[in-house]
Amino acid sequence: MTSVRVFFIGGWTSYRALFGWLSPWILIPTFIIEPVFQILFFAYVGRDAGVGDDSFFLVGNAIQFASIPCLFAMGNTIGGERYAQTLGLLLVSPARRVPLFLGRALPVIVNGLLCSLIALGLGAAILRVSIPLDSLPLLALVVAVSSFACTGLGLVAAALALRVRETAVLSNLVMGVLLIFCGVNVALSALPGWMAAVGRVLPLTHGIEAARALVSGAAWSNVRGLVVDEAVIGLGYLVIGLAMLKWFEVESRRSASLDRA
Amino acid sequence: MAVIEVDDLTRSYRAASGIWRRSSKVIEAVKGISFEVERGELFGLLGPNGAGKTTTIKMLITLLLPTGGHARVLGQDVVKDAREVRRRVGYVFGGDRGLYERLSGLDNLKYFAELYGVPRRDQGPRIGELLELVKLDGRERERVEGYSRGMRQRLHIARGLLHKPEVLFLDEPSIGIDPVGARELRQTVASLVEGGTTVLLTTHYMFEADELCDRIAVIAGGEIVARGTPAELKRGVSGGSVLEVEVFGSAEDSMATVRSLPGVTSVVVEDRGQAQVLVVRVDTGAEVTQAVLATLGGVPVGRVATREPTLEDAYVELVETGVPA
Ligand SMILES: Nc1ncnc2c1ncn2[C@@H]1O[C@H](COP(=O)(O)OP(=O)(O)OP(=O)(O)O)[C@@H](O)[C@H]1O
Ligand SMILES: [Mg+2]
Repeated sequence: MTSVRVFFIGGWTSYRALFGWLSPWILIPTFIIEPVFQILFFAYVGRDAGVGDDSFFLVGNAIQFASIPCLFAMGNTIGGERYAQTLGLLLVSPARRVPLFLGRALPVIVNGLLCSLIALGLGAAILRVSIPLDSLPLLALVVAVSSFACTGLGLVAAALALRVRETAVLSNLVMGVLLIFCGVNVALSALPGWMAAVGRVLPLTHGIEAARALVSGAAWSNVRGLVVDEAVIGLGYLVIGLAMLKWFEVESRRSASLDRA
Repeated sequence: MAVIEVDDLTRSYRAASGIWRRSSKVIEAVKGISFEVERGELFGLLGPNGAGKTTTIKMLITLLLPTGGHARVLGQDVVKDAREVRRRVGYVFGGDRGLYERLSGLDNLKYFAELYGVPRRDQGPRIGELLELVKLDGRERERVEGYSRGMRQRLHIARGLLHKPEVLFLDEPSIGIDPVGARELRQTVASLVEGGTTVLLTTHYMFEADELCDRIAVIAGGEIVARGTPAELKRGVSGGSVLEVEVFGSAEDSMATVRSLPGVTSVVVEDRGQAQVLVVRVDTGAEVTQAVLATLGGVPVGRVATREPTLEDAYVELVETGVPA
């Protein structure tokens, strides 16, 4: 019971406490205007170069944009503890660590989902890409799973950030990697083999592929495997992230690393 | 039964310096200290900056592992049974960090109430009563970023008490709190102790320790140099009395001569505003006032007074001579 409350209420509270973008002046440009710019940029480059169609770029970039909240918010909600010097207080509390840290992922996943869906909707309206109405529920599911998987990677980055102190630098790097390796604007088949291989173990790759298929009319049975892969990858990162946090906690008690970089 | 049992507790740190070529040296912050605190006792840990007080507390609240020795709190080992210890102890440190700036004071408290598993129906009344206790009621819905330093410190205190801990660790809890607030805090601590809470307190305010503590350990350089009740410490150190001579001019010149007078145990000079004060500790029965005044020659002298030694006198002497007990 306590752990359930720590997961939901605690998670939401720390999201509010540590993710500092909750002001409309930052929220709207970052989560709404910027993704649309990115979608338009790649769509027009694509049109000009005569590669891909608008819906290819729309789906790729809209989903990739979930990584902004998934990486940055996740980094902040854990890395921020260190900055606020509240981490020590958390670690002397008896709360179970898994719900304590995982609870922070839930608002982040919802944030990522909303961010992608809005980008998808606005982009589709501007570029006049038609998305089949009956694919919408499944599309939302795919985006949610992608957002979940990306949050898993965010947890790994956040755990690393506890060691290296700075979260934004790392998050920016990872964002760049996702943009290139996940088939966002260049299909995996067009990437050098090793890059495609890396892409296949990153979050978003399978989600983007599934979403593209859905938008072009594929049935659930065609994309189910992709969605499962995306979920499994996300779960994998989540487990790695939690293990790293656990290790870091043990290590901090041993070496007093909480107070230094 | 002792509620806190510390046995030969040791902690060393590896302090790094430099960015590329990390050289490190080992700092022995706590060097094998032992003490016990009984249930319902208020135990003071005093000592100069860097003496190892916070390090000791961090080991007792399970934030740091000892590098040697053992400690048990409420019968639970701080290494093996960390979670049980965490559930039953509270921790308040001094300073204005360690709060969620963007949340209100109320939300800060609610969050920690969740982490400590305070049942939901108890949270409201408990938080309300604590806000009243620390005099933050009425301001609890404001964001902490707008709180003054003392308000933050009060919030820390309320946070540490949320789950009604059986043992409370207070690391300089009165830092930044105004005199009236500090007095109220002392009353709060005293009433907690009356209610059966065991408290381990560190402070740099000697009158605070004198007023509150049942027993005190003075720690310097990671070792306990003295222990006892405040009265014992005051008696034990130099006995006798303290002669204070206010001097308008340089008092340092005569220090050596004063120190050599028969009956004088120690001399220190303190600056007080425009004057310097010669603080002379004198053996019981010895009468040195005239002799001390004579050594000052033509330097103008203000107030001259003899008083009982305070805990501060005892502390200064202990820390300056630093003989382990
Ligand atoms: N994380 C750390 N890494 C390296 N050295 C440390 C660390 N924390 C404390 N120390 C060192 O350990 C010693 C004891 O520090 P501690 O904080 O326990 O002192 P303290 O008695 O609480 O002092 P104060 O009265 O200033 O609070 C100091 O020399 C300090 O520099
Ligand atoms: Mg300290």
